[in-house]
Amino acid sequence: MSFRKTGAAILALVMAASLPVAAFAEEEKTIEPTEVTFWHGMSNTQEQVLTELTDRFNEENEYGITVKLVNQGNYGDLSTKLTASAVADELPDLAQAYNNWLTAYTDKIVPLDEFVENDFDDYEDLVEGYRAECEQLGFIGALPFNKSTYVYFYNKTMFDELGLEAPKTWEDMLAVGEKFMEEKEMPAFGVDDLAGFLEASLAQNECEYASDEGALFDNEAGLETLEYIMGLYNNGYARLIGEDDYFSSVISTQRIGGYIGSSTGVSYITADDFELGVAPLPTNKKAAANQAGTNIVMFAQDENQQAATWEYMKYLTSTEATTEWAMKTGYLPVRVSAFESDEYQSFMADDITATAAYSQVDAFFPAAMFEASNAVRTSVNTMFEEVVLDELEPEDALAEFVQIINEECDVE
Amino acid sequence: MEKKSMKGYLYLAPALIIILIFTIYPLIRAFMLSFMEDYNLVNGSYKGINLENYIDIFQDRHFIKALTNTGIYVVFVVPCSIALSLIIAVLLNSHIRFQGVFQTIFFLPYVTSTIAIGIVWGWIFNSDYGLLNQLLSWFGIKSIPWLTSKQYALPSLIIFSIWKSMAFDILIFLAGLQTISEDLYNAARVDSTPRWRVFWRITVPGIGPMISYAFVMGMINAFKVYNEVYALFRGKNGPAGSANTVVFYIYDKFYNQSKYGEASAAAVILFLIVLGLTIIQRTLTGKKE
Repeated sequence: MSFRKTGAAILALVMAASLPVAAFAEEEKTIEPTEVTFWHGMSNTQEQVLTELTDRFNEENEYGITVKLVNQGNYGDLSTKLTASAVADELPDLAQAYNNWLTAYTDKIVPLDEFVENDFDDYEDLVEGYRAECEQLGFIGALPFNKSTYVYFYNKTMFDELGLEAPKTWEDMLAVGEKFMEEKEMPAFGVDDLAGFLEASLAQNECEYASDEGALFDNEAGLETLEYIMGLYNNGYARLIGEDDYFSSVISTQRIGGYIGSSTGVSYITADDFELGVAPLPTNKKAAANQAGTNIVMFAQDENQQAATWEYMKYLTSTEATTEWAMKTGYLPVRVSAFESDEYQSFMADDITATAAYSQVDAFFPAAMFEASNAVRTSVNTMFEEVVLDELEPEDALAEFVQIINEECDVE
Repeated sequence: MEKKSMKGYLYLAPALIIILIFTIYPLIRAFMLSFMEDYNLVNGSYKGINLENYIDIFQDRHFIKALTNTGIYVVFVVPCSIALSLIIAVLLNSHIRFQGVFQTIFFLPYVTSTIAIGIVWGWIFNSDYGLLNQLLSWFGIKSIPWLTSKQYALPSLIIFSIWKSMAFDILIFLAGLQTISEDLYNAARVDSTPRWRVFWRITVPGIGPMISYAFVMGMINAFKVYNEVYALFRGKNGPAGSANTVVFYIYDKFYNQSKYGEASAAAVILFLIVLGLTIIQRTLTGKKE
């Protein structure tokens, strides 16, 4: 009898105690201590910095969340492993990814719209182009992480010697090419990402690239763009990568005047015997610059796991973390406030790559994404080499590009 | 009796299970996938069961190019490699000095990683600093852009592959040559038979089975060429895809473009070609014996 009474008393006590707790939980979320798995493709310095940032998060977060970093090799490996784990339904809680890796399993991505709405520090502060990329799936499918952009790296010593300035427009570009050919018999121009270059050049000429409807540049603006591109290549002002791996090694050995590549590529350039210059991409009717680098995508299923992952995502995209990340790795901050912070501004004053990248921040655009975008990318890269090797006239090159893109999109 | 055969199967079981899981099952699965239109690997959905994938790849210029390239590759690499290997094997077998050293040297490509060899050959073929162009320049031949032009990419790949596949052929031919009785050669010597006749009448028939084995294996391997392309062109399929091969095409379709059905259809086509040629070869060599 007394036992039952005691039991009841305890029960009442527990209930009384739990009431305010429940009410409290409405306002302040509770996350059970858990482990969050993050698959990434970072190596060397980048991996070290990521580890530093993550260790700090693991120590300092109030919920007992432990983020476990798993290095899955390079981007190719990471993409393949993500696909395989999507098939096996064993995706990690969080992963670095490009949107076009995910087309086969977009339904496994956790939409972040609600998280952003309820618990995120100033979403509009994220760089506009990055936001557009993260929303390409029709919902907020990712947050930007290790971002970069394409810039024009050039051999400033040679430019000075020839009395040249960094090219600002297409015309400058052609003039620089001509001068280099005349005086040095050397190309002044190359691109690591041919398909990206075509897309950016079209955008600079206010022309659309491609969609599910196929190629969208079979018009006057498209032809002008091809005239510019073929003008560079057919005159020898520009060259293909050929036997080299990346243009960073070609410029390091002073066999080219300059090239367009990712801003993070600067760490691969050895400018021992010359001064390196970095300029934003040349413009035509308007400025347009490819943004590159992956985003972080959430796959966590269970609610607690999602909440924990979100804490980490918020942390990585916070002004402090993204500033530190950018300064130590050469990637770009994902927030405007980070770009504008005193810390980053003073860093940028000594960093020509960051300066050039930041100067075109308003012109960033994400690569077009549609059902066949991956196939189009591969085919355009191959076709680009082909039209250059065959030295096609602009009209013919245009026709070839349009045809190959339409074929990939199943458009007649 | 029954017990005995059970025991046999038991011994075979581990190998059989592995073959079933890793060879037979993927084969059947690829066959099924090849008929599924727009197959999604992740959720297993598809639009319908039809021949769409086959129609698509045969309308795809990249596939036709890959198929032609692979055909040309097989036609050149297999016979050339066998012919050269035969000559070298006979020379190596003719009691020369430092025979062991030479045998080791010729076998080295077989045990070296394809990627490493590819890098070395990349330099041999280099248009500006390459050994090959240097050699040709002595004969007044202008520098050839081996790896950067559409015309020379496939020939470069073929030269590289002939050299690489010779190692294995030489090895089995040498083994074969040692089984030919010395008496036959002695008898020929007594009759003072000309050398070429000895070669055609004694040596070649003597290692006939080895040659036919090298031919079958060489052809199957040549149809599956991928590593050599990857190694020589640094992960790409040659300038403007000019050295694309069927396996390279399949890999690209599957992993880079997520077109699982089309990749499987291409794989089935490759399988049928290899199967067909192997059957033809078997019947031809079978008749001879």
